Amino acid sequence: MIDIMAKRKYFFGLSLILILIGFISLLINGLNLDIQFQGGTLIKIEMADENFNPDEIAATVGNTLNKSVTAQKMKTFNPQNANEEINMLLLKVSNKETLSDEEINKAIGVLRDKFNVKSDAQNQVQSVQPFIGREMLRNGILAAAIASVLVVLYVWWRFRVMSGLSAAVMALVALLHDILMMFSLYTVFKIPLNESFIAAMLTILGYSLNDTIVVYDRIRENTRLYRKMGLQELVNNSILQTLSRTMNTTITTLISVVTVFIFASVNNIQSLKDFTLPLIVGLVSGTYSSVFIASPLWMMWKQHSSKKVISGKAAKAR
Amino acid sequence: MRGNNWVKFFLVIVIIGILTYLTFAGIPGVVPNVYKTRLGIDIRGGVYANLYPDLPDGQKPTVDQLNSARSVIEKRLDNKGIFDRNIANEPENGRIIVEIPYKPGETDLSPQKAIEEIGKTALLTFQEVDEDKFKGFLEDGTRNYEQTGRIVIEGKHVVNAGVEQNRETGEMVVTLKLNEEGAKKFADATEKLVGKKIAVYMDSTLITAPTVQTKIPNGEAIITGQRTAQEAGDLADTIRAGSLPFRMVSKDLNSITPLLGESALKVTINAGIVAFILVCLYMLVNYRLPGLVADIALFGLVVAELFFISVLGITLTLPGIAGIILTIGMGVDANVIIFERIREEIKSGKTLGASIDAGFKRAFAAILDSNVTTIMTGLVLYWLGTGPIKGFAITLVVGVILSFLTAVTATRIMLTAASGLDITKKRWLYGVKEVSK
Repeated sequence: MIDIMAKRKYFFGLSLILILIGFISLLINGLNLDIQFQGGTLIKIEMADENFNPDEIAATVGNTLNKSVTAQKMKTFNPQNANEEINMLLLKVSNKETLSDEEINKAIGVLRDKFNVKSDAQNQVQSVQPFIGREMLRNGILAAAIASVLVVLYVWWRFRVMSGLSAAVMALVALLHDILMMFSLYTVFKIPLNESFIAAMLTILGYSLNDTIVVYDRIRENTRLYRKMGLQELVNNSILQTLSRTMNTTITTLISVVTVFIFASVNNIQSLKDFTLPLIVGLVSGTYSSVFIASPLWMMWKQHSSKKVISGKAAKAR
Repeated sequence: MRGNNWVKFFLVIVIIGILTYLTFAGIPGVVPNVYKTRLGIDIRGGVYANLYPDLPDGQKPTVDQLNSARSVIEKRLDNKGIFDRNIANEPENGRIIVEIPYKPGETDLSPQKAIEEIGKTALLTFQEVDEDKFKGFLEDGTRNYEQTGRIVIEGKHVVNAGVEQNRETGEMVVTLKLNEEGAKKFADATEKLVGKKIAVYMDSTLITAPTVQTKIPNGEAIITGQRTAQEAGDLADTIRAGSLPFRMVSKDLNSITPLLGESALKVTINAGIVAFILVCLYMLVNYRLPGLVADIALFGLVVAELFFISVLGITLTLPGIAGIILTIGMGVDANVIIFERIREEIKSGKTLGASIDAGFKRAFAAILDSNVTTIMTGLVLYWLGTGPIKGFAITLVVGVILSFLTAVTATRIMLTAASGLDITKKRWLYGVKEVSK
């Protein structure tokens, strides 16, 4: 029989290294926030051909609005016809100078009048005031905090039999682990944080707990069945007995999410890629943390507190 | 007993069949089919904007003020002929969410221009009417007139407008309270205009044109002639809007081209179909007969979810569709937990029937716990999320709740019935090795 409990240090170590990598890249790359959270204006518009000078356009638009504007060329493929390239102009205004509705329409007007914009061009605009961006970021963090607290309170209540508090705290550690893993992915690959990340994070908060609950549920059941079994053996057996369902529930969910990710990657649908990639990492991390983090930690807590009880008794006996 | 089980089995199949028919065919006028589902801006293309009052940071408008601002926005969009839209007030955040999709074939930027225009401060005027400037009837039968430009009072003179019920006639009337300057102007004008009309304009649109019954000296007037409380409320909202001290500006604006959305929709639906097939195969290979039953139930889950989305009129966004696909993967989780348990029970030497019963009973606690936590986080996401992400929260929560019915109840009925057959008693069918006798 495999003894997961005995090898727990390696599992803890692996997680710590990955999280550390995330933090180091955060220090190097800095926190990359999407316009949604940071504020700013982004205008994408389709150009007739690729012969345009982004610097010239930036200067003209900047002069008209009296704000500093940057511009760059962008190419994308026509989703209806993969061989056809679409030339796009990307105009960016920093979060300190987010454009108002009038200014956006003015900028687009200038582009259409003076530059070679495709006649039936459709534009894409994202514009968020920094004040609103901060509010959305705050809401996202608030949502994650509220969801964690709710979920942990629920576990505490449901697992009163196996000392609910320790079970709940370790479940929370596992959840934090998963969130840090997802966060590391974002910092390492410099993906801008946006609401998709918050949604993926909350989904994982709710879902990753499932595996932990399945293991806890078995520990709870085995505690009643084998009263004399040692704690380490009991936890180890519970994990192994539930391993195939832990794996299979995650695999079915992964099949779905990975399928969407592959379809989104092949067809270059950014919003879905941004959404499914953290989900994939979270799903894998969630299963890993349920088996290799939450349960061993819970066991260590129990061992620690029972040692205290025993040594306390010994002291009294003397 | 066994016959009874089969009746239930076929009942489940029939229910899934009916749901499938309703979802894809619909009943005209009663149940909309899934193809008519409202699609989000991220798929159709268009503008999604959060309009905030142009107040200093941190200052919030009152609920009444937001309602008034909304009524102005509705009227202005009506004027522009933009009827396909979605407007929602969020008083707790002090904002109004406006979604305007692109119309197919439209290439100019009108939805985005519209956003700029609808937020402007409303210009409300009460003007004298010349009967010879009559220009037809409004939709509700009100006589419409050209503006005369002879302004009696303006929005700034209105202190408040409300709705009251006339104690004698029971009719809903709009009450009007004017400030001192307004009261004086109104008194002079009504004295002169008894028996004639005064028209109320929002921007350049006539809202109503009541006839002056008598001189109104104290700045407190009532407007009669509203047919319903709703109509009276709308009128009061509009008049109040004229006295709003702020304009609405979009502080969070997203305009998305329809070019990308439609193909993204196709791609996502294809991804969903492939995911469904793969998950079904995985269950079938892993769990055999129970797997097949779970696949039928999973089909039921997908159909039921689509059915609920179209019946409840939920707007489907790309993340929303991703949520449905995610529920395909999560929907069989309960089955995995149950079937693994059944397998364990069979191995421990129990009979097939007893194993199935025990499997469902013992797995229930774990399934309930896991679903409750997912629903909790989904609800938090719905509460604090915005736009397309809300769509994800909805499909996820609906899917998880429905999966309880399909993966637990429906699967149990079908599996109990199917295991009653002699043919299906082979342990191999449950993924357990035959014991050599």
